[in-house]
Amino acid sequence: MATEQLNGTKNTAGNARPVEDYLRIVDVRKEFDGFVAVEDTDLSIHKGEIFALLGGSGCGKSTLLRCLGGFEKPTSGKIYLDGQIMNDLPPYERPINMMFQSYALFPHMTVEQNIAFGLKQDGLSKDAIKKRVDEMLALVQLGKLAKRKPHQLSGGQQQRVALARSLAKGPKLLLLDEPMGALDKKLRSQMQLELVNIIETSGVTCVMVTHDQEEAMTMATRIALMDSGRIRQVGTPDEIYESPTSRFAAEFIGSVNMFQGKVDEDMADYVTILSPSLDTPIYVGHGISGFEGQEVSFGVRPEKVHISKEEPDQRYNKARGKIEDIAYFGSHSVFHVRLPSAYKFMANFANQQRWASEGMTWGDEVWVSWGDNEGVVLTS
Amino acid sequence: MNALLKRIFPHPRWAVISVPYLWLLVFFAIPFLIVLKISFSRLAIAMPPYTPVLEYVDNALSLKLNLSNYIGLFTDSQYVQAYLSSIKIAAISTFLALLIGYPMAYVIARLPSSARNIAMMLVILPSWTSFLIRVYAWIGILKPNGLLNNLLMKLHLISEPLQIANTPTAAYIGIVYCYLPFMVLPLYTNLVKHDHRLLEAAYDLGAKPWKAFFKITLPLSKAGIIAGCMLVMIPAVGEFVIPELLGGPDTLMIGRVLWNEFFNNRDWPTASAVAIVMLGLLLIPILIFNRVQQSEIEGRLT
Repeated sequence: MATEQLNGTKNTAGNARPVEDYLRIVDVRKEFDGFVAVEDTDLSIHKGEIFALLGGSGCGKSTLLRCLGGFEKPTSGKIYLDGQIMNDLPPYERPINMMFQSYALFPHMTVEQNIAFGLKQDGLSKDAIKKRVDEMLALVQLGKLAKRKPHQLSGGQQQRVALARSLAKGPKLLLLDEPMGALDKKLRSQMQLELVNIIETSGVTCVMVTHDQEEAMTMATRIALMDSGRIRQVGTPDEIYESPTSRFAAEFIGSVNMFQGKVDEDMADYVTILSPSLDTPIYVGHGISGFEGQEVSFGVRPEKVHISKEEPDQRYNKARGKIEDIAYFGSHSVFHVRLPSAYKFMANFANQQRWASEGMTWGDEVWVSWGDNEGVVLTS
Repeated sequence: MNALLKRIFPHPRWAVISVPYLWLLVFFAIPFLIVLKISFSRLAIAMPPYTPVLEYVDNALSLKLNLSNYIGLFTDSQYVQAYLSSIKIAAISTFLALLIGYPMAYVIARLPSSARNIAMMLVILPSWTSFLIRVYAWIGILKPNGLLNNLLMKLHLISEPLQIANTPTAAYIGIVYCYLPFMVLPLYTNLVKHDHRLLEAAYDLGAKPWKAFFKITLPLSKAGIIAGCMLVMIPAVGEFVIPELLGGPDTLMIGRVLWNEFFNNRDWPTASAVAIVMLGLLLIPILIFNRVQQSEIEGRLT
């Protein structure tokens, strides 16, 4: 049985299964002493994808992951993996392996022994274990450190050992719990891509948990955004970033200028919104499923906003204000512009030429403006 | 004046460091050397009851090392037997204390943190009463018409009293009981630090709970097991009071031999030799213990 598992990872492309529901989470709910950690949640995860559960602390993402790993039992609902129900299987019988937060490497075992641990539980022969361990060491490029103990490794190396250990058994599903949590920022961005490469090489389906939106956007093929036990939006990173479906989603990922307003004209091909924060109406170049007079939010991201000293040549979607703060990020600067309505508007300015942002400084009167289709109208 | 003081005490920290060394010198090294000296002397009807080892007579300094006490120890089978029996009793007691103490420490370490302190308190609390009183209490429990026998008779489990008091069994019970806290304490300190996620990782990789215990928890508590065993084994080898009060005449332990030589036979030189050899025997496990701890510490630092 174990050898089948091992082979399974190598030729994932060969096993053409229905893509849609490799991992299905159906109405899963988890309560702790009356506190609802995860509310009735439905998710379908495709084979071979890297799926991120993203959310702030206490949003239920880790609880959901632990339900998948078998460390928590869902109060109700069902979890199917590859058509097989997982609910009643203890962790040691699930074809699922997890890379723990801060790795949980066995401190008394060498790198080799750590990786071999799972294989030994399957009762494989010594030769088969050795072969598989060597394969894994080669995959994560740690062959030279095989005899070291975990405390003799750097954070990045420990992470790769943890990954090798959780991939060694060729699981059907790999779980990553805050995979970059224990690394410093510089190493993080490097390891994110390296991890994705290794996971894609092994072809395993992967669910990760993170609170770091950048990490989720870099690593995941799809993201589920979670808030207080509920999934708010599921989509690819660019879908969630460019068309958030709720204020929460828009505000959680990236920064956004958010306006409260009322729909003024509701036409088939355009909408205008009046917001007390802006003197001119907001013009949206497409229809929405709403009605006149409806309370809506309108969001436009700072990098979609144009900032200049000259008044832009458009009737809508512009505002005049005073520069109050400038945050210089090197690649771009963020100008905080105070509008007459006291609203603080953020506008990015790409520093394409050296010293270009010097032209505008604190206290200057400037115009901010944006295109008809650059913002999103949110009804929730 | 100041310069002179500075010369004598180069740094205030030496004053602090020297305290334990001074303590060891006064309360360990000097008494040990005195005992060592006596062990090389000969029995004499005198005050004190032994001949001097170092003598200055007629302008000649003579050092007479009398080895007959040591030779006697190894040729007289009574002493050899007493040593072996001491080690056996101490080893079995230590093993029993480990068997009882490990599950105790394990469960306590798993309790919620508020309950943990209470449970540890309960483990330590008995040692707040006199050691002697607690050993006496066991006489009351184990004697033929004592608590245990009465209870078993009432329950009709036995028809006549069990002879436990004044047997080696009673000595084992007493030693295990008295030294159990010394086993539980280091084990608890070790087990409470274990990261539960390591076990979860083991389950995740396919290990059933009992296997995870033997592969993860047990090896990681090695230092605690060794510390606990040393803390029980070392004093148990030299134990005198418990075998004397509970063990009866069949319980042969070196502590009693020592007592007999010293107080009954007034043979100070032999008694000293017995003590020195016992120390030598105990030094071996202590050295092993030290080495294990050292490697543990080094392992963590590198």
